[in-house]
Amino acid sequence: MKKFVNDPANFVAEMLEGVALANPEMLRYVPEYNLIYRADRPNPDKVSVVQGSGSGHEPAHIMAVGPGMLDAAAPGNVFSAPPVDYCYECIKRLASPKGVLVLINNYQGDRMNWDMAIEMAQAEGINVKSFIIDDDVAVQDSTHTVGRRGVAGNFFVIKACGAAAERGASLDELLRIAQKVNSQVRTMGVALTSCTPPAKGKPIFEIGDDEIEVGVGIHGEPGRRRDKLKPADAIVDELFDAVFNDLPFKSGDRVAVMINGLGGTPISELYVLYRRAAQRCKEKGLTIVRNYVGEYCTSLEMAGASLTLLRLDSELEDLLAAPAEVAVRIF
Amino acid sequence: MQEITLADFERAIKAAAETALRNEKYFSELDSAAGDADFGVSLASGFRVVQNDWDQLDRSSIGAFLLKISMIISRNVGGCSGPIWGTAFMRAGMLSRDKTSITLEDLEKMLTAAIEGIQQRGGAVEGDKTLLDALIPVRNKIKEYVGKPDADLREVLREAAAVATEAIERTKNWVAKRGRQSFTGERSVGTPDPGIVAIATMLNDICKAVGVEPASQASNG
Repeated sequence: MKKFVNDPANFVAEMLEGVALANPEMLRYVPEYNLIYRADRPNPDKVSVVQGSGSGHEPAHIMAVGPGMLDAAAPGNVFSAPPVDYCYECIKRLASPKGVLVLINNYQGDRMNWDMAIEMAQAEGINVKSFIIDDDVAVQDSTHTVGRRGVAGNFFVIKACGAAAERGASLDELLRIAQKVNSQVRTMGVALTSCTPPAKGKPIFEIGDDEIEVGVGIHGEPGRRRDKLKPADAIVDELFDAVFNDLPFKSGDRVAVMINGLGGTPISELYVLYRRAAQRCKEKGLTIVRNYVGEYCTSLEMAGASLTLLRLDSELEDLLAAPAEVAVRIF
Repeated sequence: MQEITLADFERAIKAAAETALRNEKYFSELDSAAGDADFGVSLASGFRVVQNDWDQLDRSSIGAFLLKISMIISRNVGGCSGPIWGTAFMRAGMLSRDKTSITLEDLEKMLTAAIEGIQQRGGAVEGDKTLLDALIPVRNKIKEYVGKPDADLREVLREAAAVATEAIERTKNWVAKRGRQSFTGERSVGTPDPGIVAIATMLNDICKAVGVEPASQASNG
């Protein structure tokens, strides 16, 4: 696999440096702790919303730092949880009297390291709480997880909490919102190809030219089953039914729909998938209030996509519509 | 009764670090039976940093020293073992932040806090065939001596090492239920848990470091 890389060991550091250089007004970068944070943070009148997971899922979550989204991100190496001292420094430097909210995707490494850092920070009197995101309906447990995995639904938790925090919501209020979003969001993904972490140099799993992995995890963890490649509409139907039936959604629901590319699928194909998802929503009586088609939570250069449905109410519709600005932008 | 000083903790940690480095291969071999064969390497990478940073560690109190060890271990021991071992040192350190010497009763409380921390962080309970199955009997043994004014610390250490060593054989045929080993469940039967062996070997090495003849030998290292 050909990649744009210098020394693979510096891959994450060089990416972070690039993000910081591209956003000199908005972001600050602390190389010792892989920490990217908003230049105007911490703000004493606002809860700091932070996250740290493995790298390799960009734009999640490092490129989701900005007004109305995350205040800071502290990623680990590719597909590795950030170590405890990164988490601790992130909390310490973003500590605000109103508190710090850590949004954690449900993976054992992320949970353990953040939990430990939170305990250390609390012992020093910092007001910090955490929330666990677990929106993936594909499997109950995996090689990286007890319980469901946190995947693209993470974006909606960040967006809603980021918007509410910007308006001055308290830490407990943000926990309530995070809980609401997580309880109403469901995701499932499918892989057409594997992916190659730069430092590893070879694909993390084998998959035939005519095969797909249904329910794949964003670190290439196995999903529900290996299947033969089939038409796009049939793939969407399977993802849609799994997600729809899990909550379950019901006729009359107002929803946000996300078709998220896993890194190696062109946006043209993502819109082919969205077309079918929109048809299925209509057929099931769902009203699409907002749609998101593009890359939000990837798995390096994996070809594939995930489908997310979020049930909305007036509060969430309002929070999703609030202004936000992040490091990835096309205008 | 005698107190346990910061210097005692330094000697113990130093001996434990040597255990981890000397047994890097052996602990990984034990882990290969049912885990992903990296436990020895992970543990050694953490304790190697402890050794390298030895002269710069904060020695203002027992707690400060243990909290520093906690940070190094959590940061440098790979996988889930880092935060689990790191939490144990952190919980013990938090109870001894302002102390340069402690009583046996303090030690028992610190060990209890460490055990609770490991349970909370890793979700394991007694009987899951993890390091808890060595640490809990050690804590219970120490508890037996708490309140005995004539208890000899050297005897307590020897007895603690002995119960940890016994745990190796006692748990060998159990099925591992937590950690990486749990994915391969039955394959763990017949092989001692590397975490239990590590705790026992460390305690035996600490005995030797302070001139106490251990009751038995745990390791081939």
